[in-house]
Formats: sequence, structure tokens, C-alpha cells
Amino acid sequence: MRSTPVHKTGALLAGLVVAGGGLAACGSPDSQNGNGEAGEAAFTWAVTGADQAIHEAVADLWNEQNPDQMVNVEFLSPEADQQRQAMFQDLQSGTGAFDVLGLDVVWTGEFAEAGYIMNLEDHRAEVEGVSLDGAVESSSWENELFAMPYSSNAGYLYYRTDLVDEPPATWDEVLESGVEVGDEAGIGGYAGLGNQYEGFVVTFLQLFWSAGGEVYNDDQTESTFLEGDAAERALDFLIDGREQGLFASGFDSMVEDDARSLFQAGDSVYMHNWPYALPLLEGEDGEESDVAGDFDVAALPGFDENPGVGALGGLNNAVSELSDNQDVAEEFVVWAATDADAQQTLLDMSLPSTMLSTYDGADDPNVQLLGEILAEAQARPAVAGYNSLSLAIQENLHSAFLGQTDPEQALQAVDEAATDALSAE
Amino acid sequence: MAIAQSSKARTPQRGPRSKGSGIGERALAKIFLTPSFTFMAVIALFPVIYAVWMSMYQITGFRQEFTGFGNYSQLLSDGGFYNAIRNTFVFTTVSVAFEFVIGLMFALIMNQAFRGQGITRAIILVPWVIPTAVAAQVWRYMFSDNPGFVNGLLGTSINWLNDPTWSMVGIITADVWKTAPFVALLLLAGLQTIPREYYEAAEVDGAGAWRRFWSITLPLLRPAIIVALLFRTVDALRMFDFAYVFAGYSNSLATLSVYTQRYLYAEPELGYANALSTATFIIVMIVGIFFIRLMGQQTVGSEKGKKK
Repeated sequence: MRSTPVHKTGALLAGLVVAGGGLAACGSPDSQNGNGEAGEAAFTWAVTGADQAIHEAVADLWNEQNPDQMVNVEFLSPEADQQRQAMFQDLQSGTGAFDVLGLDVVWTGEFAEAGYIMNLEDHRAEVEGVSLDGAVESSSWENELFAMPYSSNAGYLYYRTDLVDEPPATWDEVLESGVEVGDEAGIGGYAGLGNQYEGFVVTFLQLFWSAGGEVYNDDQTESTFLEGDAAERALDFLIDGREQGLFASGFDSMVEDDARSLFQAGDSVYMHNWPYALPLLEGEDGEESDVAGDFDVAALPGFDENPGVGALGGLNNAVSELSDNQDVAEEFVVWAATDADAQQTLLDMSLPSTMLSTYDGADDPNVQLLGEILAEAQARPAVAGYNSLSLAIQENLHSAFLGQTDPEQALQAVDEAATDALSAE
Repeated sequence: MAIAQSSKARTPQRGPRSKGSGIGERALAKIFLTPSFTFMAVIALFPVIYAVWMSMYQITGFRQEFTGFGNYSQLLSDGGFYNAIRNTFVFTTVSVAFEFVIGLMFALIMNQAFRGQGITRAIILVPWVIPTAVAAQVWRYMFSDNPGFVNGLLGTSINWLNDPTWSMVGIITADVWKTAPFVALLLLAGLQTIPREYYEAAEVDGAGAWRRFWSITLPLLRPAIIVALLFRTVDALRMFDFAYVFAGYSNSLATLSVYTQRYLYAEPELGYANALSTATFIIVMIVGIFFIRLMGQQTVGSEKGKKK
């Protein structure tokens, strides 16, 4: 990870910073004794342990530009639940060791309502029109900004070019051709995020949105989940798909990497997955792939005339209310959202950026496509009780998908959960 | 240890430092034990009391409000809580029953003298040594449709991970595999304290194998059985790893621990989570006390037996 010579000094510095940060965390406001000496961190950025090298590269860039206000990166677990746990513990116990919090896009409302993070509405002008709309939306709670966009993500539809000529334009085509071509080839039709977890919510919401649905009205005051037939259509697609044998075996317990390895072994016609799968499927870096050269990526399809809508992933950075260095922390989160070099670093290291301009000059057609998908992608609603809503979708709709519960009651239950999620008790 | 020492003190041969000082043996014991008891009270009781205290609040972020027993009345009307209790008890009853029967069989086998006895005892413990979280991942993989190891082995096409009934069967199987050896070890220790002479005498009197097992092994093994059941039951009531790894927070498998964790981190309501953990504590406590009372009767009985 740290092997490239360019980054070696940076990594070394970062190592020093981590060591210094450990001491600084013991108390005393470090800016007083800091005086900008190398290796002395001014503030701490708590971020996911996934993609460490990328976040480290961004931190290195900041440290080069701001040697008197260095950032110390605190890598949390790659698991979302454990990241939340670490952040809650830091905040709830009043420790306040984390100045900048790298929040999953769906946590903004929850952290804002709890009073954990600073209002950043003053910086709206700096990101609006500069960052992806969906990323700005996911940084907002009750129409005010509480975080700054940082990284993003949206899924491709991967399809087998040796089995289908054109990517399907609608979900109905996916169902039809997936079943047919899959049967002929003796493989599954569709792989993706089907396990009962957050990924299933992504799968469902993408269908729901592309059938014209919205979970809430514009100012997020009431649930519009059952308005129109979008919820029903989305769920019906999943149920029909299961009954007609569209889904690759084990779809209902599949997470990202299960889907990826199944598609990579040539066992599915279509797959919905994040862009990370691309280099692996192409067989880069000695990876073994049965589909190298025999697949391509496209934007997700929609229902009827509706375009496909991806669900945005990624991280937003927020400033902790308990930070001793809120000014610097604030400066950092704005910088990470709007500095062209920082954002380019993300994209170059294959983590989708949020800054629109980074996609403009891209040579790689897949990156261009990703830029287009992201521009249309939608944020999962960052309401205060998002997690409760998500668990309700997982619980009710996954079992309805499997035919274990009544679809109508399941949708009703999700609607109620959506209303409850507007204000976390 | 204490028993061994006191029985030594009663033996006719006196060591160089026999009793005879001013303070009685019992009083001395109390003095020696005081620091460790204080220590245990602070370590064990403080978190419990603190949790009960926190359960009286409604906590959202930095705001907290005293609600008295509000969280508990919410708990009593929460379907998810009863569901978690049901899952926990189903899991506990079935898994402990199987672990006991299989563990006992293991123990009886290992108690026989045969070549390779030592190595068998070591091998049988391997599942127990593997960390539960790791074992859970491995079992989940074996049950999952890809590669479909268990289904392939059984020739079935069961949806092990998503069918509520079969996934319960799955985690019980995994837990039995993991902890039956532990039960076996505890019971084996008990078996080895039973004197051979009893069996020889019974054999002379013409008792068959079954009769010997029923009238000698089982009654004399009772203390070890109770200890094994106590450990396993209390442990199973707190089970987290298998349920969480197999089904996350899904209600189909959520045990009390998983359900508590859900309100700690996934849907943070600290007050409610503490009410849930207090309820779990009370349930485990009641079951624990029940077993300890069983054990107490046993100890009293055996002491009487010795004195006559």
C-alpha cells in the first residue's frame, strides 16, 4: 500500500503524526504547545478503515499544504456498525478525541439531531453546484448542511457481452433476458446486493426510485412511500424475479463480494455492484477472472420510460461539536470537499469523488460513465431515524421478497417506519 | 483448595505450623477473603448498578431526560423484546440439551482407557478453542448457497440463512458443535472422581451396564452435571455471535443480546438499551440462581453424607 516512492515520505510523516497524536490525545489543547512543529497533529480525523491508503493520501496532501496544522488520521473499523460505535463512544462519553468525523452518507440526520455535529450551512455556496447534488443532499438535515461531501459511490450494471448484445434499458428487460439467457447458459440471471442488510435497501430503493417513487415529500415532513405504485412495483419485481428464477443462487444472502466472485466465475448474466469490482473482473493485478474481456458496464435501467437511479454511497465529513479545534476542522472539511487536488486524489486512487469537475477531463470511458451515473444518483434520505427505517425495510421487505410475509402488509409497515424515522425518539 | 487444606488439618499428622493461634480458622478466612470480595463487588456490581441507573433515562445524543420506569413500560409493550426472549429461550433450551447429551457421550467415551486417549481429548477440544466469531463466519459460509456445502452434503436445497426455522437450526448446530466438547470436558472431570470400586462392586452384584450408568454414574456425576448446565445455560442466554453473524439484527434470529446491541449502536437509544440489558441480566440471574440452588442442595447433601 505504501510502496510507491512518492508516498514514502508522506507515509513516514503520517506515521509520526499518528505517534504524536497519541500523546496529544492525552489532554492539553495541543495548539498551545504545538507551534507547528513537524509531527505534531492539530486535529484528528476519524474515518473508515476501508481504503486506508486513499484517506492517507488525502491527509498527506493536507499536511504538505498545512505543515502548521497537521491532521492525524484515526482509522476506525471498516465495518459501519463498529465505526458508529467508536464515534458514539467518543461523543457520548464526552471524550472528544475526534475533531472531524467521516460519516457514512446516511448518518447525517442522526448525528445532527443528536447534537453531535456542527451546522455548516454557512458553506453552502462553496459546494452547491461544485459537488454532486446527491452528495450535498446527503450532507443536509432539515434543509441545512451539517457535513461536507467527501467521497461518493454508485453502482454499475455489469453485463456479459458474450451473452447479451446491448445492456437492458428497463428492469422488465432485465427480468426477461436474465431468465432466458441465464437458462440457456445454465447460469444465474442476476447477482447483486440481496442479503438482508443495508445493501438490500440500496437494491430496493434503486428499483423504487426508478419506478418514480420518493420516500418523503420535498421538505421531508411526511412519508410518501405508498404514493403511486412505485413501492409495489419495486417489490413485485423482486418477487417475480425470485419466482421466475432470475436471481443467481444465493442472491438472498449475497453481499458485495459474494456477488463479485460469482460474476467473476462466469455464473451470472447481470450484476449490480459498486465500481470496485471492475479491475478485479478485468483480471488486473494477477486476479483470476473467467469473464475478463467478456463483460461491460452500463447505467442501471429504470421502469418504463424512467431513467435508472443509482443509490449514492460514500462519506461526508462533519465537524464534532466536542472538537477543541473547530476552526481548523471546519477548514479541513471544506478543503476536502472543494480542493481539486484532494478530490482528484480520490478519483485517481479509484474512490469516486464528489467534485463534479473531476469527471470532466476523464479519459477512461468507465469514469465518464460513473460521472454521469453519479450526477443522476439519489441520496438515501438522511433523516434522523434513517437506521430504523433501513432496518424496517430490511426486515419487512426481505421476508416479503422471500415469500415469507404478505407484501402489502410489509409495505405498510415500511410506510409507518418511514413516518417514525422523521423524528427519532 | 480450601476443602483440601481443612481436611489436611484434621489428619493426625501435624505439620510444623499447626493451628493454635488466637483467631479461629473461620474468622481468619473471613479476613483473608474481605479484600477479594470488596474487589469483586466493585468490579461486578458497579457496572450493573450504573446500567440500571442509565435505564431510567431517555438519552438522545447529548440530551437526556429522566423517565423513571418509562423505558421498562416501553419494553413490556415491545413485540421485538418478546420475540428476542422467545428466540433466546428456544436457542438455549435446544442447544444446551443437545450439548449435554453429546457432551456426556463424549465424556463417557473419553473416560474409557484406550490407546490414544490423550490425543483424543486434545482433538475433541479443537472446536471449543476456536473463537466464536470466527466459527460463526465459517459455519455461515458452509450453510450459504454458494458454495452450498451443507446442502450438498445432505442433498437438500434448504435456505439455511433466510428461512427463520432453518437458520435457528443452523445456529444451534453450530453452537452444539462448538461447545459440546466443553461440556464433555467438565463431565469427564466429574467422571474421574467416581471410584472404580463402585463399578466393580456393582458388577459383582450382577448390575448390567445400563444399571451401573443409571444408579452409579448419573447420581455421582450430578454436581458436575449441574456445573456444566449452569455454565452452558447462562452462556447460551447471552449468545450473540452466531445470531449476529448469521442474520444481523433480523428478528428471525435476534437474541436478547443482539436486540440490545441494536439499540446501542444501530438505532441508538442508550436508555432503552440499558433497560434491555438490565432485563437480560435479571433473566440470566434468575436462571443462574436456580442452578446455584440446585448445586447448594447437592453440596449440603454430600457434606451430610460425609459426616455420618
